Amino acid sequence: MRRLVAFALCAVLGVSPAWAQAGRDHFKVGVITSLSGDLATGGNVTKRGYDLWAKAVNEAGGIEVNGKRYPVKLYYADAQSEPSQGASGAERLATQEEVDFVLGPYSSGVTLAVAPVLEKYKIPMITGSAESPLIWRQRFAYTFGTIPPVNYTGSQPVGALAGLTPKPKTAIVLGSNDAFSKATAEAFKAAAEAHGIRVLKFNIVPSGQDLIPLLSAAKVLRPDVIAFGGHDEELINLVKALRQINYTPKALLMHYGVTEPAFVEALGKDAEEVFGASVWTPTLPTRGNLLWADARAYAEAAQKEYGVPADYTQAGCSAAGIAFQAAVARAGVTPPLDEGERRALRDALEALDIETFYGRIDFADQGEFYHANTGLEALTVQIQGGRPVIAAPAEFAETQPRYPMTPWNQRR
Amino acid sequence: MRRGDETEPGLRPRQLFTEVPVLWQLLPQAVLDGLLIGGVYITVALGFSLAFGVMHIIDFAVGEWIMLGAFLGYYLQRWTGLDPLALLPVVFAVFTAVGYVIQPVIHRAVSGRRGNPVLMGLVFTFGLMLAIRGAGLTVFGFFSHSIPSALSARSLFLEAGGLFVTVPAIRLFGFVYAIGITAVLHWVLRRTDFGLAVRALAQNRDAAGLMGINARRIGSWVYGIHVGVSAMTGVVIGSIFSISAQMGGDYTILAFFVVVLAGMGYLAGVPWAAFLLGLVQSLFLVYGNPSYTLLAVFAILYLILLVSPKGLFAKGV
Repeated sequence: MRRLVAFALCAVLGVSPAWAQAGRDHFKVGVITSLSGDLATGGNVTKRGYDLWAKAVNEAGGIEVNGKRYPVKLYYADAQSEPSQGASGAERLATQEEVDFVLGPYSSGVTLAVAPVLEKYKIPMITGSAESPLIWRQRFAYTFGTIPPVNYTGSQPVGALAGLTPKPKTAIVLGSNDAFSKATAEAFKAAAEAHGIRVLKFNIVPSGQDLIPLLSAAKVLRPDVIAFGGHDEELINLVKALRQINYTPKALLMHYGVTEPAFVEALGKDAEEVFGASVWTPTLPTRGNLLWADARAYAEAAQKEYGVPADYTQAGCSAAGIAFQAAVARAGVTPPLDEGERRALRDALEALDIETFYGRIDFADQGEFYHANTGLEALTVQIQGGRPVIAAPAEFAETQPRYPMTPWNQRR
Repeated sequence: MRRGDETEPGLRPRQLFTEVPVLWQLLPQAVLDGLLIGGVYITVALGFSLAFGVMHIIDFAVGEWIMLGAFLGYYLQRWTGLDPLALLPVVFAVFTAVGYVIQPVIHRAVSGRRGNPVLMGLVFTFGLMLAIRGAGLTVFGFFSHSIPSALSARSLFLEAGGLFVTVPAIRLFGFVYAIGITAVLHWVLRRTDFGLAVRALAQNRDAAGLMGINARRIGSWVYGIHVGVSAMTGVVIGSIFSISAQMGGDYTILAFFVVVLAGMGYLAGVPWAAFLLGLVQSLFLVYGNPSYTLLAVFAILYLILLVSPKGLFAKGV
């Protein structure tokens, strides 16, 4: 009777009684991402990546630990595009759901709010879609990321542009006022200056701001390059605004969002020849030992599941699951994980160095990229023929960059 | 003055304009951009102001009507291949009918023995907003879209005496549309029997009823017009910017700012408030620090409301 009362109390409070946790035959995996709000697009792309990993790993019987397989069960928390909601979600996953580890949020801002909460409860988290260098400078012991930060990837496309003929001499760099976009703009600016491209204007603008007055002013300065750090909708709005004022720079450079299928769908021929930064495309030559043999195999599985091509964020999220899968096996820990086992999992993640369909996963254990994945090559992509293709570096390039951009009104 | 479609990418070399300092060169464009942004704001706020002025409903679902209208325009454009701007009457008709049907439900929530009808209306439409937004995310998905219009690809280049402006055709359309809708609404309210009934209802609901005005039917029409105009605005916005199931929230807040600045329920103040907000943003983006644009907008809003709590013309509620 006493146990029944305790169970009822636990059910009302939404927590699991201790005896229900003992000898659990599956891993409880928390997923914190933005399923609604302004960042819903990226958040749902993130979710697709995590879901696809969970589906694939469960179809294989689960995560193999010492010869026995343990399925995974995902527990979601909607961050609603708000850092505070993300932190509340993390608190709930840690205290009520008692998850073993967490697949992290979309957007750097939410990640920065979630990481301290999980640090408090000593729960390892891998984020598959946060790229601000601020996260790694905080040196969170339990937070890892599969996508390298923008100051690691952002300089590649600027360097690639600087090597084109005629070399761009001037640039205008804009960024939206959030952690990722601001860091992207700063990375573009630093790289432009390092490559001898004069930055005529550098502005951080409020998120969602109508940019037409700023772009009209920029047009007077006739920059060769316009580089912009922002999220999906903002990128589409920027291209539309440039189209409306009929200004075609020699090169238009963005970061995340260009590789999203929505970018090409929304802009059609105006999306052509826009440059972006990435670390993965479906055609990247990779070799995976877990779940998917290479990038192409993953892309086919994603296309079959969701009907649209996968981008590097979705792939990075599936790779985050694989990293946990490999680290759990190496640490030899079984569910439910206690604090000591979670620490062992954290240590295994830090020591991890594996090849996946996504490329190499090797989390830095020191320096400014602490716990970010530094095993990947930064790529310059350009939209050509309605899809992102690798334009640089030379060893991965699938095509020559199209430069200067074809003027908007001469496109067919 | 040179006038015509711009055919070259960007301007002619800057040396041609050296007789005018760069900061002055930017001024006409900044003012024009501010007015064009203001044009978009007018259409966002007009229906909202009308609904409050007549029915005393703070419609927090206004952004969602804009979103739904944008998606109807998006799908109609894909199915018919017609320019979305040619589809505006269809979108207006569909959503006027939707608003007409929904209004009695709102009326029920704000009338009867319930206390504080304004608060009840606000809470009801807030719930409506959440329901529509959630349904939108489920039905339309989470990716952004765009409504392509032939006008999106055209611009006009005007030049005189070393000064010049580029006029994006689609934004010019948005401006003309805003002025047109304002003028039509003004005419309907001032010159027709229906408008007389609406004004009577806004002034004194009980007295209007005693004069034989059917408050429920007029209320349904007013809310229907508000929803129809907002939905049409969604199509225009989708031709200028991108659209997504989550877009509504930003426009609801925007409508609220414009209407508060204009004076709650004072329809004639909406265009001036919208232009003011558009100009402040544009000028601050060009001449100030763009990072603080919203701060500048809020500071001006605060100062105006401090001096005149009933809006720019002190004629709000």
